[in-house]
Amino acid sequence: MQLTRLLALACAVGATLGAAERAQAATAEASTRVTMFDEPSSKNTGVRVYHPQADVSVTAASTFNVAAGYSADVVTGATPATFDVVSAATKFSDTRHLVHGGFGFEQSDGGIAFSAAYGWESDYKSFVLSGTTHHDLYEHNFTLGLAYSHNFDKVCDADNSAAAGLPLDRVALGKSSGCFTSTPGYVTHPLAIDTFEPSLSWTMTPRLVVQGGATIQILDGFQANPYRKVALGQENRTPQEHLPDFRQRYALFARMAYALPELRASTLVMLRGYDDSWAVRAFTADATGTKYLGQSMLMSIRAHYHIQSGASFYRDAIGYQTLGPAGQYWTGDRELSPMGNYLFGGKIAFFRRPQQERQSWFVEMELGAKYELLLYRPQSQFGPNPDRTFAQIVQAAFAMRF
Amino acid sequence: MHSPFSSRVPTLILLGALLFGGCSISKWTVKPHQRELLADKIMQLDAEPQEREAEEHVLANREGAIGGTGTSGGGCGCN
Repeated sequence: MQLTRLLALACAVGATLGAAERAQAATAEASTRVTMFDEPSSKNTGVRVYHPQADVSVTAASTFNVAAGYSADVVTGATPATFDVVSAATKFSDTRHLVHGGFGFEQSDGGIAFSAAYGWESDYKSFVLSGTTHHDLYEHNFTLGLAYSHNFDKVCDADNSAAAGLPLDRVALGKSSGCFTSTPGYVTHPLAIDTFEPSLSWTMTPRLVVQGGATIQILDGFQANPYRKVALGQENRTPQEHLPDFRQRYALFARMAYALPELRASTLVMLRGYDDSWAVRAFTADATGTKYLGQSMLMSIRAHYHIQSGASFYRDAIGYQTLGPAGQYWTGDRELSPMGNYLFGGKIAFFRRPQQERQSWFVEMELGAKYELLLYRPQSQFGPNPDRTFAQIVQAAFAMRF
Repeated sequence: MHSPFSSRVPTLILLGALLFGGCSISKWTVKPHQRELLADKIMQLDAEPQEREAEEHVLANREGAIGGTGTSGGGCGCN
């Protein structure tokens, strides 16, 4: 019902923007998308997330644009409260809301844009300010892009002030009902995230565009999952997950788009190398092929591969229980364990573009659907979430341009 | 004695001319009338920002790496 209301709202906003377009010679776009992420478990109900999105944008006189949007995560499922060999799952549900807005200026050889986003859920609040700029060089053959964002995030946690300097005595957060209030037993930690991403695109030939760039991210603050406990040693100690407060993350990437006009198709490829101060090293490859079918249909197929090493303080459940922690930190996060991911999928989109000579209240209407299968390949059977070996991603999208 | 640098100087000058010379740049550039294929939406590196946001949201929570999504279009210069 909530999703239907969102769709109706987006259509109404789109119709309003369409009227505005006729009155002010502006262009506008309204789009909605709903993604369902389903991660089944062989032991419990797994995790299911519904992610609706609605966005509108208006461009006036081809130079000034404003955009706004809303998205949410409606999460239900069960997750292991303790990372151990025989983890029992705890049921949970939560909803995250995110609103964002921004504006930008575009000229023939470049542009600049600023945006802000605010997200909130029962145990986490996030406020992000972002700025991006791009400039074309050498007759539009090169584009230099720069992006920067800063997060002012807040994380709810159990009050562990009595365990200061004694991480083995830290207790996990039980529930979020007292978060961001003055309820005793709860505290709020800050988390600052700075992300900088320079890139350079090069139009090499009439068929080929390549792009190279880097991503640098610095996180400073509480980064653990406050609910997660990790079983350490053989004395049944289960302290809260304990991660360093500081993390530096670096990535180098290359992307390419190549046109295949004989097939009315294109191929997009992305390669990425990653390293960080927690010793996670990763390589990711992503390829998408897209082809026109007739005059009003697009079909895409996609393959994605990711492989990574674990963090320096990661051990699997057996390792933590037999050897104890690897230093002063411990984790039960799958994304900090040595593992690989494979993703395969496809997308189909129908679009309608009324002929210019006809009277029409829109320029383009697009309807799309996507299915992707994500396969997890953990290195150890005693790694986090061994009961979840795959996830499915189903998405439906609707967009109108005026 | 023959200097090993003497034979490299012309090569360096030639490379410099190729890299920084205006004529060479203009030879290598793709002209506006050659950009028909590049202007198509299926050639845009960031054609679907809303879809990309949803994808990043899923993968960032399941992979320990970030980055590589790009910050701007593919240098089409179509505007």
